[in-house]
Amino acid sequence: MMKRLNDALYCEALKVMHSKIVWITILAFLIVPFVGGFFMLILKDPEAARSYGLIGAKAQLTMGTADWISYFEFLAQAVSIGGLFIFGFVSSWVFGREHSDRTVKDLLALPISRAHIVGAKFITIFLWCILLSAIVLTIGLWVGEMAALPGWSRELVSQGCEMFAICSILTIALSSPVAFFACIGRGYLAPLGFVVFTLVLANIIAVTGYGEFFPWAVPALYSQIGGEGNALPGSISYILVVLTSFAGLIGTFCWWRYADHS
Amino acid sequence: MNEVIHTVNLTKHYGKVKAAEQISLSVNKGEIYGFIGLNGAGKTTTIRMLLGMIRPTSGAAYLKGEKISGGNHHVWAKVGYLVEIPYAYPELTVRQNLSMISKLRGISDKQAVLRIISQLHLDSYADVKAGHLSLGNAQRLGLAKALLHQPSILILDEPANGLDPAGIVEIRTLLQDLAANSGVTIFISSHILGEMAKLASRLGIIHNGYLLQEVDASQLEVLLCKRLLLKTTDRERAVSILKEAGYRAGIDGEGVMEIHDAEAIKHPEAIARLLVHADCPPTQLKVEEEDLESYFLRVIKETGGNYDEKVK
Repeated sequence: MMKRLNDALYCEALKVMHSKIVWITILAFLIVPFVGGFFMLILKDPEAARSYGLIGAKAQLTMGTADWISYFEFLAQAVSIGGLFIFGFVSSWVFGREHSDRTVKDLLALPISRAHIVGAKFITIFLWCILLSAIVLTIGLWVGEMAALPGWSRELVSQGCEMFAICSILTIALSSPVAFFACIGRGYLAPLGFVVFTLVLANIIAVTGYGEFFPWAVPALYSQIGGEGNALPGSISYILVVLTSFAGLIGTFCWWRYADHS
Repeated sequence: MNEVIHTVNLTKHYGKVKAAEQISLSVNKGEIYGFIGLNGAGKTTTIRMLLGMIRPTSGAAYLKGEKISGGNHHVWAKVGYLVEIPYAYPELTVRQNLSMISKLRGISDKQAVLRIISQLHLDSYADVKAGHLSLGNAQRLGLAKALLHQPSILILDEPANGLDPAGIVEIRTLLQDLAANSGVTIFISSHILGEMAKLASRLGIIHNGYLLQEVDASQLEVLLCKRLLLKTTDRERAVSILKEAGYRAGIDGEGVMEIHDAEAIKHPEAIARLLVHADCPPTQLKVEEEDLESYFLRVIKETGGNYDEKVK
């Protein structure tokens, strides 16, 4: 049982490691800490911030002051919102490419359960997204250090990393419905459309004040995007994220098992 | 048990479209079953049902007595397949693509990949990315994936696509060898009818989703229409002489004199003698046998109409 899952994982790893997509996602996500660090540098020097005009004003709006707390919040917000897109893209690629490259038929009549293949794909997505998050966090800490941000403490870093990790996990969990849409849409277009749709809807619903009931708005709410005065989402929000994630997982497993692959 | 592939009233409907309708067939061990039909006749739908990729609307398919379903993956251990144009992971080399299939098939023999690369003459492309292969070599890679685990059942959809004439002969020889010497059962679809006539031991003709006819290759000789074609200096007189002698002589649509009598086809020299004696010597005598393509079109024309009405 485990051996067959490992075999499927080996194949997924082979595909990922030989693809340029993994580097593209790393490069795309690496923008986050550098942009964050850039804003922090602007905030540290108000004169320079004024000379930057709109960019400085925007940085002021989202991060407030140039310190480690604001910087961690920025990273958590970036992984909550940018992650929806990047992790959704990873999910679209892992499942959608089998249809776009028309290789899915090679995976359907093999002496290995389709559940193992789907399971291996989800594990790959999870590990890939965790790796992206870890890279962003590691580079983020280095950029923060280079920017000589004030307010460093072991406790603060621990809290900041924890917030970042929870936002990452919540966002990664929400990529399973994207996989389902990649399957039913048989390619990239439907899942990417779904990602953009959920991103827009999450923003609108969060503004109306019902964000805690919309799973795709929950990671951003957890990252305190509305300001520190805002209450953290309640347990119903996390339950909804878990249910959405399971729905995506079960839908994808069932699609591979029962749908017509014509 | 001799029966390896077996379908019972295999049916697939997409809404009102009848892609396959009550197809019942069986293929015995070591047999090469040629499945022929026009584009959209239902060949690929049937093959996908045989491979558990599509769930039948009704009916069932069995491989070595085991019912095929998406969840019964053990049944594929001894099945090799190729469906339509073979695609591979473009960023992986030929060797990596095969290694991946080897892993997914649970093949422990480390030499299997090298062996199949050599067998299908892909040695010089082993480290070329699949995305850079020509259509012919991509087809070879597809066949390599199908043959990698030395299957006892092969289900191939248009395996000669993209191959050059030498490649077609090579694959035909390989498949014939597998069937004759290794007892591999082969279910193969194609629209290259001449190729199927040379390869298959039995043929199934599918049209509009219906299996119209099954023919043993050995019976085909009897079923194919034959006629004796004649040319003389005086066509009208020759027809009259032959009719007087009791032959069913006529002139076909292209203005060529033809005789359909079995006796005349068997002994064209008797016709020549008759015409020479009547001072109307033939300038050309030729026995023409209907090819599979013509036979296929004739069968579709003869029986397809009835089925078209049934569909309506």
